[in-house]
Amino acid sequence: MENINFDIALARLEDIVEQLESAHLALEASLALFEEGVKLSLYCQKELKKTDGKVQRLFKKLNGELELVELEV
Amino acid sequence: MEDYITVGMLNSYITRLLDHDTRLQDFWLKGEISGFRLYQQSGHIYFTLKDKEASVSCVMFKSKGQQLNFKPEEGMEVLLRGYVSVFARQGKYQVYVEEMQPYGTGGLFLYLEKLKARLAAEGYFALEKKKRIPRIVHRVGVVTSQDGAALQDILRVIRQRHPGVEVIIAHSSVQGTEAPRELAQGIQILNEYGEVDVIIVGRGGGSLEDLMAFNSEELVYAIFNSRIPIISGVGHEVDFSLSDLTADLRAATPTQAAQLAVPDYSLLQKEVHSLSHRMVRFMQRNLSNHEERLDRSMMKKVWREPAILLQKKQESLAETQKRLKRSMEERIKEKSHDLALAAAGLDNLSPLKVMTRGYAILTKDKRVVKDVTDIEIGDELQADLANGRLQLLIKGKEKIKDGKHKF
Repeated sequence: MENINFDIALARLEDIVEQLESAHLALEASLALFEEGVKLSLYCQKELKKTDGKVQRLFKKLNGELELVELEV
Repeated sequence: MEDYITVGMLNSYITRLLDHDTRLQDFWLKGEISGFRLYQQSGHIYFTLKDKEASVSCVMFKSKGQQLNFKPEEGMEVLLRGYVSVFARQGKYQVYVEEMQPYGTGGLFLYLEKLKARLAAEGYFALEKKKRIPRIVHRVGVVTSQDGAALQDILRVIRQRHPGVEVIIAHSSVQGTEAPRELAQGIQILNEYGEVDVIIVGRGGGSLEDLMAFNSEELVYAIFNSRIPIISGVGHEVDFSLSDLTADLRAATPTQAAQLAVPDYSLLQKEVHSLSHRMVRFMQRNLSNHEERLDRSMMKKVWREPAILLQKKQESLAETQKRLKRSMEERIKEKSHDLALAAAGLDNLSPLKVMTRGYAILTKDKRVVKDVTDIEIGDELQADLANGRLQLLIKGKEKIKDGKHKF
């Protein structure tokens, strides 16, 4: 599950459901897919719940450094 | 000594003359730009405006130059508004430009069309260069004015869709000469920061002139070179801006840009749930199918009465044994017949059988006599006949010359 993002995970999950429902897979193969699908589904749900919600302004200071300042909106 | 005036007095006098001529204080002038120079330090612009017969020096101070909504170029036909005055230090009159626009049928449009055609030819609008906008985002970069209504619209939509999304604003002016550079820089520092998933560049609607920063080459380059996907959201009264064409995704307004950047999370959640549900339902059905198949197999007679399997084998074994026995018996019969025939043949060849037909075996000193030359007259020999033995005394001998008997 490295190098994964929501888009990849969701696409893979869709692919797995499609395969399970359409291909005639051996029981072992379908169980392996199912296990992967459960992990992906949990990952997607976790990604959808991430919250932080700040609004910040990004500056470039004269010395070239970047600085973030939180804004009240 | 004649009465005289100084050079300064002359120039002041001429300046006053010109300044008092109202026709020279506000007029429109058309011509072609030549020798265009923008002094970086002062921000003032200098050029010569010419036509076929004549030329005149022009200056545009920074405060006016900042209002320019296009990039003047060498040879470009322009229409400008200004007044004439004297630059006393050099004793030359020049036009002080207040405002300037490209000249021609729809001047600004023509300029834009040319710029658009060039940028298109250079591949800045190419579809294959467009980056994909991610399905979900955790952090959205926004390049716009911190004080504009556009920012408020964007923040409102993002909050509605998903309160958890973080927003990083890179403030920029959105019109005037500084706007192209500031907008471009906003994109650059967000790329440098690197932690945003998508960038919205936009402002509210306005006239073509107001939106010219979004048609600037500087902004087009910055959008094109951004590693992070960019959604343009410029309110329009005109069809397009060059930044719209360069952006990875174009929205009609800042509000729509925010909608495109931040998905409706409840919809995505439903999608993920539905997929999980389908997967689980399939798996349950799949497992019960397998169980059913297993049950059906276990119900077969053979599993309940395994002796049937043995019985069949036994039957087949007995049959095979029977066949084996039968074929062996046949073989033995065949071979016995052959043996009897062979024995009969052997009997005919036996010397005893030959002797009964009248032949005798001659021996001398227990050795069979086959050659007359081995025998001398007076030798004693034995002759064995079928029913006894004779003692012989040789009285004479004769060798057959041609090896043939005459009986």
